[in-house]
Amino acid sequence: MTVAESSVLAEQVDLKQRLQNRSLKRFITGVCAVLVVLGALVCAGFFLTPYAPNTPDFLNRLSPPSVAHWFGTDQLGRDVATRLLYGGLWSVGLALLITVFGAIAGTIIGLAAGHFGRVADATLMRVTDSFFAFPELIAAITIAGVLGPSTANMVLALILVGWMRFARLARGLSVDIAHRDFVTQAKLNGLPSRLILWRHILPNIGPSLLVLWTNSWSRTILSISGLSFLGFGVQPPNAEWGAMLLDGKAYMQTAPHLMIFPGLAILVSVLAINLTGDRLRDLLGSGSAT
Amino acid sequence: MLLVDNLEMAIGGKPILDDVSFAVEQGQTLCIAGESGSGKSSLLKAINGLMPARFDRLCFRPQTHREITHEGQWHGKPGLRGSRWVMQDPIAALNPKLTLGRSIGESIYSKKPNAADLASATATALADVELPPAMAERKPSEVSLGQAQRACLARALIARPTLIFFDEPLSALDAIVQKQIAATMKRIQERYRITFVIVTHDLGFAAAFADQMLVLRNGKVEAYQPAQSFFEAQASRYCVDLVDAARDLGSLPQAAEGARNQAEVSL
Repeated sequence: MTVAESSVLAEQVDLKQRLQNRSLKRFITGVCAVLVVLGALVCAGFFLTPYAPNTPDFLNRLSPPSVAHWFGTDQLGRDVATRLLYGGLWSVGLALLITVFGAIAGTIIGLAAGHFGRVADATLMRVTDSFFAFPELIAAITIAGVLGPSTANMVLALILVGWMRFARLARGLSVDIAHRDFVTQAKLNGLPSRLILWRHILPNIGPSLLVLWTNSWSRTILSISGLSFLGFGVQPPNAEWGAMLLDGKAYMQTAPHLMIFPGLAILVSVLAINLTGDRLRDLLGSGSAT
Repeated sequence: MLLVDNLEMAIGGKPILDDVSFAVEQGQTLCIAGESGSGKSSLLKAINGLMPARFDRLCFRPQTHREITHEGQWHGKPGLRGSRWVMQDPIAALNPKLTLGRSIGESIYSKKPNAADLASATATALADVELPPAMAERKPSEVSLGQAQRACLARALIARPTLIFFDEPLSALDAIVQKQIAATMKRIQERYRITFVIVTHDLGFAAAFADQMLVLRNGKVEAYQPAQSFFEAQASRYCVDLVDAARDLGSLPQAAEGARNQAEVSL
């Protein structure tokens, strides 16, 4: 019987893959653990902070960091730490929403372009190209400027300029995978094309899309902050990291903590997401379709 | 049972296959040999409707499905119902994200089996190719090449096909595994009386299996004759060279006579 021999062979073949799978699993567990701890801290912050993010306290204007106000107060006496916490919802949360929307829309458009005939391909990809022709932030400023500055318009603008990279990647990778032997086998076995897309193509381009998504998420945080800083995004009195930078700009000399802490928040969150994405790409690299 | 009449294929005006005709009987094995670039793999793709080709007639009469006849060119979706195809590179032919069991089960998707039937059919197919049942839970990256090729064979078998196409089924494997899988193929053919159409450049392997030999050269049929007579006396200079080369490499026994029987013993 050959079973015993071949399973010994398989043990050796497995080893490298197993090691990689193990470090991937460990990494994902680690990321999940950090997210849970972070989520718990943020929730605790919301419940425990004695301050409201938008209520002014004119007796405490521009006070430096202290025990009562960890990150100081701003020009209206609002607690910077509390505002950072609420601002994170706008910056990180909105960016998450926008990129998830963009990723889904872009992937659907890319898959449709790659698999529903030449006319669909030509049309959809030319539309994608023409969206690419506008620099991202300038297009968003134009849209937000024309429709008027508001959070909803900014979200719309960022969704409109954010989906194309997903479409292009999804199309490129899926067309490549559609020519692989296992897809040919699925076709010969009579699987309907939606099942081939869902079961054979999407799972194999998923990791690459995930990496692109982390990258897109951090860029969108920057875009939201940038647009808010320019006054096109989240409007006062709502706390948003970019808007807080704008508020603090006038007091940079006398109360630098108004700019330092929002700036650090943006830096740390963007860096954390980017580094996570990089590590993910390295770990998924050889085992996936990238 | 499978009949191909005057098949022609050209890509961009360049002829790939020209006037290829053959017929295979139920339970027999046709080996298609020839050097690289002679159009062997293209022929399989054309027969399965994956590449456009012109032919007078293509007729397939499986035991389990309606007879399929195409005239002129292929019509409809690719794939001959009642046949399966085992490819050259088993890792490429298996979805890296699916377990072997799911890949195998997908082969009978069109029969819409329930979960219990699917599980028992998969177990039977795995047993037929001499893989342990636990293999169903493994991903392609977790098995050896030989095991992956056995899984591909199981994927073909689970559909109870009348005919299996093989495209260089052993060339990705090392010599020992080649021998083991060739033996498994032989047992399967004897047990289920499946017709084989095998594309190969390994004449030793062909000698062990073939009832009929079809030799292609630059897209044309160089020889089409029973295997016995092919290995005894070659019809053309090219075939003589081909057989001699195989003998020099040691994949065919030196003596022409009884080549088939000897090769069979050596399995």
